[in-house]
Amino acid sequence: MISVKKVDNKPLNLLERVYLLEIARGIAVTAGHFFRNLINPEGMPTVQYPEQRIPLPGNARLRTRHRLKIRADGSPKCVACFLCRTACPACCIHIEAAEYPENTVEKYPAVFDIDLSRCVVCGMCVEACPEDAIAMDTNELPGGALARPDMMLTKETLLRDIPSTGDPSVKGASNRLANEYLKTRGEQ
Amino acid sequence: MTGFFEANREILLFTGLTAVKIAVFLGAVMGFTALLTLAERKVSALMQDRIGPNRASVFGFAFNGLFQPAADGIKMILKEDFMPERAEKLFFTLAPFFALVPALALFAVMPFGDYVMVFGCRVQLQIAELPLGLFFVLALSGLAIYGVILGGWASKSNFALLGAMRGAAQMVSCEVVLGLTLVGLMMIYGSAGLQNMVRSQGGLLFGFLPAWGVVYQPFAFILFLTAAIAENKRGPFDLVEGESEIIGYFMEYSSMRFAAFMFAEFVEIVLVAMLAATLFFGGWQVPYLYETGFLFPGGAQLPLNHYLVSAMQVGAFAAKTVFFSWFLLTVRWTLPRFRFDQLMGLCWKALLPLALLNILITGAVMKLPL
Repeated sequence: MISVKKVDNKPLNLLERVYLLEIARGIAVTAGHFFRNLINPEGMPTVQYPEQRIPLPGNARLRTRHRLKIRADGSPKCVACFLCRTACPACCIHIEAAEYPENTVEKYPAVFDIDLSRCVVCGMCVEACPEDAIAMDTNELPGGALARPDMMLTKETLLRDIPSTGDPSVKGASNRLANEYLKTRGEQ
Repeated sequence: MTGFFEANREILLFTGLTAVKIAVFLGAVMGFTALLTLAERKVSALMQDRIGPNRASVFGFAFNGLFQPAADGIKMILKEDFMPERAEKLFFTLAPFFALVPALALFAVMPFGDYVMVFGCRVQLQIAELPLGLFFVLALSGLAIYGVILGGWASKSNFALLGAMRGAAQMVSCEVVLGLTLVGLMMIYGSAGLQNMVRSQGGLLFGFLPAWGVVYQPFAFILFLTAAIAENKRGPFDLVEGESEIIGYFMEYSSMRFAAFMFAEFVEIVLVAMLAATLFFGGWQVPYLYETGFLFPGGAQLPLNHYLVSAMQVGAFAAKTVFFSWFLLTVRWTLPRFRFDQLMGLCWKALLPLALLNILITGAVMKLPL
């Protein structure tokens, strides 16, 4: 059901239909802004972006460049389940899974690329991740680049801790479960 | 050889002087137009609390965007010069010239100053002293329609053709109003030569008010400005181009051909500004400044050198042109665009009768025994 909003446009009165007074009022507004900004350019809210930056709000809703979280032992939390790749509307995530040689039940990403030139910064990969392995909390804005390869984030650039956030990079749930499973199998 | 110079002294002097005047005046106008392309972006930016282009730099010196016109020009030259396969090659090439040349030719009749004495020789500060300059202006600005029509038709594109039809209809209907608003001025000044019209604006009304055209014909000034902006295809009447939604006649143009159309538009801004200053705001006249110096209404005098007076008059004309150019930019970035039928309604149903009424009232007042 499409909701239709009815707008009651008041008919213009004679003074408005002559336009001149309204035009003069409009020009007064724009000329006012023009001269105010001409005399005091510092007062403008515009910022010379790459050189001059506004501090980011840093709240929970902020989505910045991705990172892959790591465990205490330095291995990626990611288990290469492909859920983020499936959820991604821009198809910008490329994963190649591999297995640990000593641990046959758990996968890890041998390759994890995010093409920032395609990423729409929607945050769906973060929502989709069952391991809480991918996050968008680096507070770095994905900037422009002169070549496409420069926009490619590889696993090496993604894997990093942010100590300041106090995020507990503990052993992930699947790691614990896998270890328990291996332990029980070893007992058999 | 000396005999040749002696025999043709008059014509040689005239040719040389005219060439110098053309070089100086047209050079100034072209430079100002180039700066106007930057001014358009800067003015609109400042109006909207933005900064505007300030990155184009030479050896690291940007001067707040002063090199932007040069950067734009270089970019335009380097773009691909595209021509549709089925386009009429000759007319497609010719159209930008038809847009640009009449606009530039009109500067020939603009009086940018009174006269200046150079080595005892009286030099009129006007390239061509046509006795019917105003008709020359109207005739040549009518010629600019050919640029629109040829550009749209020769590119063999339906969108461009529709844009050209729209543009031509708009320009023709505004041409009529433009001509009629100026009739009142011709009646008052009793002349159609632009220099004469400026000279007759030199007096005083009631002993203190400069007898500028806008004092006699304030109503005609508003009509003229509206019609001139519409004729100029500038916003709020810029539906001829309407890049984002209705696409204009130069849709198939790229590179310097497109730049010629754009440049013609900016030249026409300068032209409209100069015409408004010349016809309604006293051209090069400075209030209370006469050939020998200032003569204020209270009786105070300030005698001035001839060259100082001339420089002040040319400066006044330049200042008025700059002001009206700024005003046209401001209007363009303030008002929303008219729809095509609204524009036609405005031109034919509002401006045209009002212009005729203006002529009637002017004539009646002039016949009154005052």
